[in-house]
Amino acid sequence: MEYQKAAELNGLCNGKIVTEYLCRNGFSELSVDTKKVAVQHKNETSRKEAEDESRLPALEAAYTTILRGLGENTDRQGLLKTPLRAAKAMQFLTKGYHETIYDVLNDAIFDEDHEELVIVKDIDMFSLCEHHLVPFFGKVHIGYLPSKKVVGLSKLARIVEIYSRRLQVQERLTKQIAMAISEALQPVGVAVVIEAAHMCMVMRGVQKMNSRTVTSAMLGVFREDPKAREEFLALTKSA
Amino acid sequence: MERPKQKQVSQSENETDAAINGHFDGRVKMPGWRAGGAAGDPSTVPSSSVMESWREERTRSLEDNEMSLPSIAAAYTTILRGLGEDPQRQGLLKTPWRAATAMQFFTKGYQEKIIDVLNDAIFDEDHDEMVIVKDIDMFSMCEHHLVPIFGRVHIGYLPNKRVLGLSKLARIVEIYSRRLQVQERLTKQIAVAITEALQPAGVGVVVEATHMCMVMRGVQKMNSKTVTSTMLGVFREDPKTRDEFLTLIRS
Repeated sequence: MEYQKAAELNGLCNGKIVTEYLCRNGFSELSVDTKKVAVQHKNETSRKEAEDESRLPALEAAYTTILRGLGENTDRQGLLKTPLRAAKAMQFLTKGYHETIYDVLNDAIFDEDHEELVIVKDIDMFSLCEHHLVPFFGKVHIGYLPSKKVVGLSKLARIVEIYSRRLQVQERLTKQIAMAISEALQPVGVAVVIEAAHMCMVMRGVQKMNSRTVTSAMLGVFREDPKAREEFLALTKSA
Repeated sequence: MERPKQKQVSQSENETDAAINGHFDGRVKMPGWRAGGAAGDPSTVPSSSVMESWREERTRSLEDNEMSLPSIAAAYTTILRGLGEDPQRQGLLKTPWRAATAMQFFTKGYQEKIIDVLNDAIFDEDHDEMVIVKDIDMFSMCEHHLVPIFGRVHIGYLPNKRVLGLSKLARIVEIYSRRLQVQERLTKQIAVAITEALQPAGVGVVVEATHMCMVMRGVQKMNSKTVTSTMLGVFREDPKTRDEFLTLIRS
């Protein structure tokens, strides 16, 4: 049930995908109540590029308030344009909200008679922790077992970009990537592993410099067949 | 150089403005050093206001933090809405408060004074060989984009009858790095603080950092690192000393 919620939340643009999502073999835990999702989707506001410009002044004003609240002098040379730069930076770091999977994927799915594991690993990922608004970053490893359809390799990295450039929780990010690939390709199985360092743990709070968080999502044959999972994990292990 | 002119103007207007971000440019008169350590800089800063400025850096107190928390949290709520998110969803309900507290933590250097940290840990010791503390993890915030900077600081100094507790070097790094910073200024502030506290024969500081504003956005170069250094006193004048320092931090 939690997976269902995970698909809806922070999935401002994958509401479209989720409404079309049906039960599949091996994916039965991820069945979605389409009525519930449609209602959720109506309440979410989507952000388009044109709106970014119009929202900048409000963001700038907010950042100026923050700088003053921290005790800084907003008139000094180094901080004069900082509210604008910080607002634009934040919009860039959350640009995944106005990108859709379909825009990225639609043309690059090919019919190919390949039934062996395809892995794209060490995809650098940068995201923002939704609890502290502080970056977390790391690497994503994606593997899938195609079922007559393969996807352009860079599209896997683009899917990572779309979902990571948002306010995220690492668990949800992993699941969203896996589900997007499942939905687009209907492969035999999908595996996604993310290993990241969370600045909210490194720079503040418990302050553990070397800690890394690893999450994974195994769907289809990767969930059911331990050997397939082992092969994926062995191939993505860095030396 | 723009900065010295800026300093002089602001100093004449308002003494508190003389410390930008607690900064005082490093034209400090040291016993036995040539005046105006920066190459050929003829103007001098009245040492009393410089000496005082590094002791009076605190611009914020714990009470200030508590009082400004609601307005910073409200600003973060505005930001969340402005980005198109829904601040009422479960994951974001308390985010404005958490983000505001986190930001206050990342700028806690404004609450601390060097003198509080150092005063008790300066010892008279007849040691005149180089002392190095290296690989001090450093976390700062870029003042231009409000995005983290992190890396390592290596500090070396040649004592002149007075040594400093080793963790105090790391604490000086903490005080200056937990602010809205520019890496060049951070390096200089650390070096000058140690100079002022100990009057050593020389100080060398090297900061090597990754700037998230370059990695996560903008030019997006994952592996780039920025290295800045400040050499004062004998580290600036004697190439052999400097070499020894740089070799030892590299090993």
